[in-house]
Amino acid sequence: MERFCQGDSGAFDALFQRYARPVHGYLTRLTGSASSAEDLVQLTFLSLVRARGRFLAGSRFKPWLYAIATNAARDSQRRNRRPEELTPEGELPASIPDDAPGPRDSGLEQAVQRALAQLPEGQRVPILLHRFEGMSFAEIADAMGLTESAVKVRAHRGYERLRELLAALHQETQE
Amino acid sequence: MKPECSRVMDSLGGPLPADLSSHVATCADCRSLLGGFDALGGAPVAPLAPPAPVAPSPGLDAARQLALKELATRPKATPWWHELLVLLAVHAVVLVGGLLVLGRHGIVGNRASPLAVMGVAALTLVLVGGGTYVALAPLRRRWPWTLVLLAAGVVAAAQVVGGSGLEGRPFLDGMWRCMGSEVALSVLPLAATLVLLCRTAFQPVRALAAGLSAAGVALLVLHLHCPDGTARHLVSAHLLPWLVLACVAVFARSRMPTRNHAP
Repeated sequence: MERFCQGDSGAFDALFQRYARPVHGYLTRLTGSASSAEDLVQLTFLSLVRARGRFLAGSRFKPWLYAIATNAARDSQRRNRRPEELTPEGELPASIPDDAPGPRDSGLEQAVQRALAQLPEGQRVPILLHRFEGMSFAEIADAMGLTESAVKVRAHRGYERLRELLAALHQETQE
Repeated sequence: MKPECSRVMDSLGGPLPADLSSHVATCADCRSLLGGFDALGGAPVAPLAPPAPVAPSPGLDAARQLALKELATRPKATPWWHELLVLLAVHAVVLVGGLLVLGRHGIVGNRASPLAVMGVAALTLVLVGGGTYVALAPLRRRWPWTLVLLAAGVVAAAQVVGGSGLEGRPFLDGMWRCMGSEVALSVLPLAATLVLLCRTAFQPVRALAAGLSAAGVALLVLHLHCPDGTARHLVSAHLLPWLVLACVAVFARSRMPTRNHAP
């Protein structure tokens, strides 16, 4: 990161090779659209270059990068929606449009996508980062600008809600 | 959440120690939690297949090229505190300029006791500096709304309590003059603040702190210059425009494009 801050393009390439694809996967799950995710990856890495002077020495890079990616997705959704469609906290609403097929698709991945899309953003992001990106709660707290205990509470509620949603979806596909 | 529940969360995806297993057996919350975690794909660390294509994507390559081009244009990173210094300099110029222009016949027109005048001025100055810092500094934690609102409340209360109570001009005449001055003096700090705010991700609390700080420069000029010290005048002509300008800053920032999304 230090070499990248000094303008070393090789250092940037190393970061890009390591993180571009995971960030793309994360953004696809977050937005429900692979094509939007591609645009957002572009914004994320452009922001990374422009804002590298804001990186605090000694802090962790991965949570910072994912914070940028989350902000880019939030901003994109905010601009594509009317303000009355956002929650009072300015977050994304519980249900987001996605590229997934209709509700009768029985694939696990589709079911999980649909269940995740029904969670409010405050619960969806910690679960995506924890379960799919393998980040610790401390890292997620860094990425979300929250305390670790606040992240755990959100993730806890999110997992509980997911269990209910997936059970309901499972029942729906059985019928 | 009990400490054991928190430890269960830390152990998600791995084997649970014996003491935690017995806790899970008696804790409905933890059973729900484990159920939800396992429902996402079963075994630990077995995430869904990444949705990204296996072959190098043209979209990702375009992202890389664009970022490299930006890096070549600006190879040297600018530390964040450069922008903080620039904004503080703008605030200082407007503060001094405002005092010199409005205070041609004496910079301090406030007729309260010198101690009260200096105390409230110092408090407002802290708000201006602190708000600017909150607006631009890279943060590990989000600033709590309560802290920003409390700071604004303390400054507002100090302005009213520290007023002289003396009326210098007819109410409406004084109100329009002070409102006009406050808005005019806030244009430059607000514009500079908004430009710099667009270089970070939008956070309403940060935009509010920035707005309070930018409009706080004019509030400070009026506090020192204005001879009217009645509570009615201070609230309607000094504090109300200050709060409205801060809200305008939040609204304007929410409508402006974000140049980069770093926290």
